[in-house]
Amino acid sequence: MNAQPSSTIEHAADEPAVTSRPRGVVQRVRRVQRSDLTLALNKWGVLIAFIALVVAASLLHERFLTVPNLLNVARQIAIVGVLAVGMTYVILVAGIDLSVGSTLALAAVISADTAVSHGAFAGVVAALVVGAAVGLVNGLGVTVGGVQPFIMTLGMLAAARGLAFMYTDGHPIASTDPAYLEIGSGRTAGIPNPAIILIVLAFLSYIVLRHTVFGRYVYAVGSSEDAARRAGIPTNVIKLCAFVICGFMAGVAGLLYASQLGVGSPVAGEGFELDAIAAVVVGGASLYGGVGTIQGTVLGAGILGVLGNLLNLTGVSPFVQRVFRGALIVVAVMVQRKGGRIK
Amino acid sequence: MMFLSWSRIGVRLPVVLLSLAALTIAACGNDGEDTAVEDERVDEADPTADQVDVNSPFEFDVAAMSYDDLPFAEVLPLEGGEFEIDGEVREIHLGFSQTGFNHPWRVAMLDSMVAEVARFPNVRLTVLDGEVDTLVQSDTVDDLLAGGVDAVIMSPFESDGLVPAANRVMEAGIPLVVLDRDVHTDKSLFIGQSNVELSRALAEVMVDDLGGSGRIVELMGVAGSSAAIDRSAGLQEALAEAPGIEIIAEGDAEFLRDPAVTLMEDWLVRFGEGEIDAVFSHAEESGWGSQIAIGRSDRCGDGIRQYTFDASNAGIQAALDGTFDGDANYSPFIGDVGVRAALMLLRGDEIPGAEPYDQPGERVLLPDLPTVTPENATEVVGLGWGDFEPPPDPCA
Repeated sequence: MNAQPSSTIEHAADEPAVTSRPRGVVQRVRRVQRSDLTLALNKWGVLIAFIALVVAASLLHERFLTVPNLLNVARQIAIVGVLAVGMTYVILVAGIDLSVGSTLALAAVISADTAVSHGAFAGVVAALVVGAAVGLVNGLGVTVGGVQPFIMTLGMLAAARGLAFMYTDGHPIASTDPAYLEIGSGRTAGIPNPAIILIVLAFLSYIVLRHTVFGRYVYAVGSSEDAARRAGIPTNVIKLCAFVICGFMAGVAGLLYASQLGVGSPVAGEGFELDAIAAVVVGGASLYGGVGTIQGTVLGAGILGVLGNLLNLTGVSPFVQRVFRGALIVVAVMVQRKGGRIK
Repeated sequence: MMFLSWSRIGVRLPVVLLSLAALTIAACGNDGEDTAVEDERVDEADPTADQVDVNSPFEFDVAAMSYDDLPFAEVLPLEGGEFEIDGEVREIHLGFSQTGFNHPWRVAMLDSMVAEVARFPNVRLTVLDGEVDTLVQSDTVDDLLAGGVDAVIMSPFESDGLVPAANRVMEAGIPLVVLDRDVHTDKSLFIGQSNVELSRALAEVMVDDLGGSGRIVELMGVAGSSAAIDRSAGLQEALAEAPGIEIIAEGDAEFLRDPAVTLMEDWLVRFGEGEIDAVFSHAEESGWGSQIAIGRSDRCGDGIRQYTFDASNAGIQAALDGTFDGDANYSPFIGDVGVRAALMLLRGDEIPGAEPYDQPGERVLLPDLPTVTPENATEVVGLGWGDFEPPPDPCA
């Protein structure tokens, strides 16, 4: 990770042809500088950590590796997983979005309310529009307004939560429309719908980031915004899009929250932004931008979800659980970075 | 009419937002359906509107709160009408600093207070929002003092952090009535219910239902909060008398629904059919969350019983429907008692039932309201707080 982005800059800036494939350059540079073992650890570290945790969990509790439990875990990680997929875009462009938990709450209350008044479909649309709109405001603040992403989204963290309270007068909004509840509570082919939605969104994001020009630009902007701008990439547009996508995903998460619990609550999702960031970072992304993958993020969310499940199954005290979670984040990142060059 | 700390604005975004909302909605009567603000209409429609200054984003529905339905109307009773002090009728200005308005329980406390103020034409109330933050609430107390209130009623967010603010009220020589949560310093009067006693009574209902033996799981409130600590303590006290009942798992459900779903799902994997007899949750939200998990895990057939706290209207309905086997009635309707106490203190009355206790100052301990059960729920239907519906019971 972070392998000499400065050399990427020069390549990207010198050769216009390369700008469409900046990741290729990054990988080529890495390959020269690193041993195969280091590379393998970097590339497969998250997967290895995930498999190790699953094996450990299977040994520690006989009911971990049962279908009902695994389906529970899949649903439990879906909401934070969707948030983390959106967060990946923002972190890849060297940004951060602290507002996703509040955006989730705002989308959840408006979505639940709209579903009551106008039906399930309108409820879905409302959640997505609200999420994307909040993302748009964040993105405009960062690009046009020139506010640092941390500050812009810190403001939105407070403001969106406040709007959710204003919208509801502090009350939870119940939604009992069966079609709406089916989205978050139902199953398709035996698999909980939220897990399917996470997989679909993650797969689409994988394609977008890996196989589209937009995706390459995202990595280029995150590796070096200056170089990307000089190479003719519309960096502000790319960053704006990253924030809109992140907000949109928070809207999806809000929809999943409200339709899974049957209630849109203004206190929903407090602190979820930190869980989402943790999942992205455990998944191998760098907060400096330009490094990270969707598959890593999903596995990162999986690692955190499996750990939580395991701690509940084995009856670890709720106080001790927090320590475990904190330690896991640091250890998981250390393992991946071990042997890697850290700036 | 409004006390705003302008220095805070611009730094704290939520303050700006809530204050803007407050500026437009303050003292606005509620017509129940139209949220638009029409100040002209308010003056004629709501006789109490001019009595209440409110820095909160909420509207008041005084009509919805029938005074006779308040559970503690018998405590420190006072005749309504012009309130005389030393034979003189003058305007009496009370100030109320609330923890925050982030929960309908907190709004309901204010409703009961407004219903009481409405009985006294010469009593005016200013309400400030502590925004669930020790520092902000401390500032609101200073704002009330600066506004020249005759007495301060406070429902503190934090027992230790608001000690200096409480001391400043006492130093100003005006009555300080503390509601619900205590402050660890001198005050004129503390009025509260005992979470320990209510929890023990709830647990005793559970012990009876289970015939003295069984295995239960506990969904605690926010770890470390005084309510969670006291509710666990009450449970432990009751279980000390019932050795046949065992707590087989406990987790932090944060008084919320979604953490409870996850915890309960995992416990239903960990414990097989028939291994869990009851859920003891510290809030209805967590009780409903665990019920969702039971339904999803196809374990309705286990007949797992539900014991919880809050006695909201939705919870009372859920008890009536049989979802909750017990719902401890930790009532928010104590604001009226606080108003009466403040008025009596201003007049120099002796407070009936006030007694010294293990903290500085005196206390009036409110009588424990009985646990709401499927059997007695009809008696209290509609007398809880909050106007939301119970979620559908997946096991019904």
